[in-house]
Amino acid sequence: MYYRIIKDDVLKSKGVTLATLLFIVAAAALVASGAALAAQLFGAVDALMEAARTPHFMQMHAGELDRASLERFASLNELVEDYSAGEFLNISGARFSLGSKTLADSVQDNGLWTQKAGMDLLLSLDGEMIRPVDGELYVPLAYLKDGTAALGDEASVAGRRFRVAGFLRDSQMNSPLASSKRFLVSEGDFEALRADGSVEYLISFRLKDPAALGAFEAAYAESGLPANGPTLSYPLFRLINAVSDGLLAALLTLSGALTVCISLLCVRFTLLAKIEEDYREIGVMKAIGLRLATIKRIYLAKYAAMAALGGAAGWGLSLAFRRPLLAGLKQSMGEGAGAGLGPALSALGASLVALSIVCYVSLALGRFRRLSAAEALRFGAPADARAGANRPRLSRSRVLGVNTLLGIKDVWARKRLYAVMAIVMAAATFMAVVPTSLYSTMASPGFSAYMGVGECDLRLGVQQAEDIPARAAAIAEALRADPAVLSSVALTTKALWTTDPSGARIRLKVELGDHRSFPVLYSDGVPPTGPGEIALSAMNAADLRKATGDAMVIYDGSSYRKLRVSGVYGDLTNGGKTAKASFEAPEAEAMWAAAYAKLRDPSRAAEAAERYATAFPYAKASDIGEFVRQTFSATLDSVKTAAYASVAVALAVAALISYLFMRMLIAKDRRPVAIVKALGFSEADLSAQFAVRSILVLAVGVSVGVLAADTLGESLAGAAITSFGAAAFRFTGDPLVTYLAIPAGLVLSSALASYVGARGAGRAAFVDHLKE
Amino acid sequence: MQHIIRAEGLIKTYGGVAARRRVLDGVSVDLGRGEFIAVMGPSGSGKTTLLFALSGMDRPDGGRIEFDGQDLSSLGERALADLRRKRMGFVFQQPSMLKHLNILDNVILAALHDRRGQAARLSAKARSLMEGAGIAELAERDVSQVSGGQLQRAGICRALMNDPLVVFGDEPTGALNSSAAEGVLEMLRKIHAGGTAIALVSHDARVAARAERVLFMRDGAFVAEERLGTFAGTGLEGRVDAVTAHMRALGI
Ligand SMILES: Nc1ncnc2c1ncn2[C@@H]1O[C@H](COP(=O)(O)OP(=O)(O)O)[C@@H](O)[C@H]1O
Ligand SMILES: [Mg+2]
Repeated sequence: MYYRIIKDDVLKSKGVTLATLLFIVAAAALVASGAALAAQLFGAVDALMEAARTPHFMQMHAGELDRASLERFASLNELVEDYSAGEFLNISGARFSLGSKTLADSVQDNGLWTQKAGMDLLLSLDGEMIRPVDGELYVPLAYLKDGTAALGDEASVAGRRFRVAGFLRDSQMNSPLASSKRFLVSEGDFEALRADGSVEYLISFRLKDPAALGAFEAAYAESGLPANGPTLSYPLFRLINAVSDGLLAALLTLSGALTVCISLLCVRFTLLAKIEEDYREIGVMKAIGLRLATIKRIYLAKYAAMAALGGAAGWGLSLAFRRPLLAGLKQSMGEGAGAGLGPALSALGASLVALSIVCYVSLALGRFRRLSAAEALRFGAPADARAGANRPRLSRSRVLGVNTLLGIKDVWARKRLYAVMAIVMAAATFMAVVPTSLYSTMASPGFSAYMGVGECDLRLGVQQAEDIPARAAAIAEALRADPAVLSSVALTTKALWTTDPSGARIRLKVELGDHRSFPVLYSDGVPPTGPGEIALSAMNAADLRKATGDAMVIYDGSSYRKLRVSGVYGDLTNGGKTAKASFEAPEAEAMWAAAYAKLRDPSRAAEAAERYATAFPYAKASDIGEFVRQTFSATLDSVKTAAYASVAVALAVAALISYLFMRMLIAKDRRPVAIVKALGFSEADLSAQFAVRSILVLAVGVSVGVLAADTLGESLAGAAITSFGAAAFRFTGDPLVTYLAIPAGLVLSSALASYVGARGAGRAAFVDHLKE
Repeated sequence: MQHIIRAEGLIKTYGGVAARRRVLDGVSVDLGRGEFIAVMGPSGSGKTTLLFALSGMDRPDGGRIEFDGQDLSSLGERALADLRRKRMGFVFQQPSMLKHLNILDNVILAALHDRRGQAARLSAKARSLMEGAGIAELAERDVSQVSGGQLQRAGICRALMNDPLVVFGDEPTGALNSSAAEGVLEMLRKIHAGGTAIALVSHDARVAARAERVLFMRDGAFVAEERLGTFAGTGLEGRVDAVTAHMRALGI
């Protein structure tokens, strides 16, 4: 019997059933894929880091290294299991050529590395430790993925010829988020090229007990060993490795959850419409003594079948997409222990989706309980709300036409019913506006200010070189003399000391110089102006628990300074923990320096960058537009794709839900529609009434959506961005798109779908509804 | 005699090819200006179908209807709606009010369609009609707060708002107890006395007995007619007996 009922119902509403089924399939596939990816990811990250024997602690250091004292420290400290001080030979990207391409435009620090036995291993794509022979170049996987290099390519580094012998997995620097990339060569080739680059030491430690990392870090800081470079640790490597695929898994699961909500709405509206239509039959079933559970089962049958079918199909789809989805992950990290769990976990995810549909329908069918057989037979469907007879009164209206009044009245009287639709529209608007605004904000030229890079055209960095101050001064001099340069400034970063809230002395990277000419974005306060002031990055302000106006004490190696915090700014560079001040600290050692310039003609930034790169080979010259593009291109691309996808999905959802809502409304309103038609209202009048209702609901929904996107959405996007250390975030999207194009598109698609949904509804012999 | 309605050879069929049924099988009927007719017949004989055809709510498959000199088949959906709103009034078996409007708003609803901004004047008219129907105090009430008989009387007020040529009634007392029914029928009598034509369909002899002319219907066709003359409020029992006798003779 169930089979026949399901068949009849499906045949009667093919389109709607198919659409709902598709959403269930999509939801199940998304959730299942998210689960599979997560399972794979966490296994694979750990497996890779285990196989590569990733260091637990690493100090980058440019300059002299006292190997003897390092040796002494490592042997005396009982936490240390193993250590190494590998040399990273940093070579300008322009001197790398791979096949027909070069790395001249790369914003990564590219360099050579030789394999060290024991720890921090670079692995082949089969997960084996690579042992390069002379003439072989192993290339970071990232350059295979972005199509820069291919296996067997002719390559050259600083004039020396190589063959691309393979690609490597680097458990530290695989991710584009890591700013350096290691190429693997033989010892012989490395020595031959030593003079063509600058050496930076990666001082790495493996600990006997990884949990003792905190204690070790403290011991290292006390030891007097090199400390003037970034330090990185195991948890951070793990995070960097997991973050992009982790985000993808989260995104998949999240879109899955969203799609489940859409499916539930589809189910809700079709089910309500169906119950509305079958009201009398349900009454009859109750009257002849069928039990509630039996009646519920008849209605549940269809949705249980759809949920089961959709869940299974979604799971099947996720299995089919498993290979391409996990391919990238497998390539960068290999198989993990979780791989076998994948299909089972994704089956669990798909089942959860199916189950949620069935539970929801079962819950919605609870309303049968409230239905008395006698009432159903005598009056047809019950009124939604009785309290509707006041406001607005037809008899008191002066201006509005009767159709407008009836439309307003109906929405007012059945607020709860229409609220569902308004919420859907608000959600769709939110969904379309937030990613779009995020994208246009990130793509806007001012965005570098959020990252802690002042708004300028050219940046010249001096790092890992002797005598940083003198070299920086030379560059600053050249910039001042250059007629193409509008304004410029040179800033030197030095390692000073302060105390954290617990009283421990910690290092603080302070960028010294004039911070007024190329200000970054301050979430609070202003740049430091006098020698008595300092500004903190958002992350440092949080760590040190300082706010604008607070006092803090800095030790510069020879004396203590009492400073006032002038402001807090956003910074995504250098791990987000920096400070800015304008005093001199001649005693302190410089870590790096950078010069910033604004050009008379910003469009010639690339050309200027090249000119300075040739004139000052030790400086890393980048045109800021290119810098931002490359650092963020992957992120920007995915945000862009997400924005387009969201807009498309929002439009589709708005249309589908509007259509279903209209069908439900028409089923519900058969009798009042029949009455007003009998009284002499034409189909055009009815269309006008329904249009007024739709416009009201759409207007409220879309406005709420835009408002929410502008406030909640902005904070949400801001929270994501500030968690990386950026300043307070504001959407700077195109208002024409946000406030006009997207709302108009949504309203249009919803209105169109409503129109299609309502079409023919009035023509269906309305007199039949009067005969009831 | 001038006619409001002239209908000839009306045919209406329902059902698919297999189970075709003629619900109206060549019905012809005239309604004069200010006349009061009743169509009697057992349930399922096609009375409601006839009424819907005459009022332009449903199109017959064959035959011809002239309303106030206009051929209904020549009118579009919009023109038919206009005609219903301006020239006809309806009273249904089930109280047919919009739940979200109060009684007064329900009464003025259709009238307001063509008189935007004249709500005050229409309300005054509605109140005086309701006064006459003895339900003046119910104007501001919710639809759910009044009895079936009161609702039906409000429905008649609604039907009169546009001063129609004819009021159609489909078993207007079908859902009422006898005293409530009496009030409604008395109201219809007064309306007729005021010069408005009335066309009722009913299976109840006590209702049909108020009409000047009773048409008997069976299986989609008229089988007889009885002329009773104008009912002035007295001698109802004799009229009812005449109708009942006629029905019995026809075997209805
Ligand atoms: N839309 C319809 N489809 C099929 N049959 C119908 C439809 N409307 C009415 N009928 C049938 O036509 C016949 C006459 O109906 P109706 O005019 O309502 O009779 P009455 O009002 O005299 O009781 C009935 O047998 C009814 O079942
Ligand atoms: Mg009937």
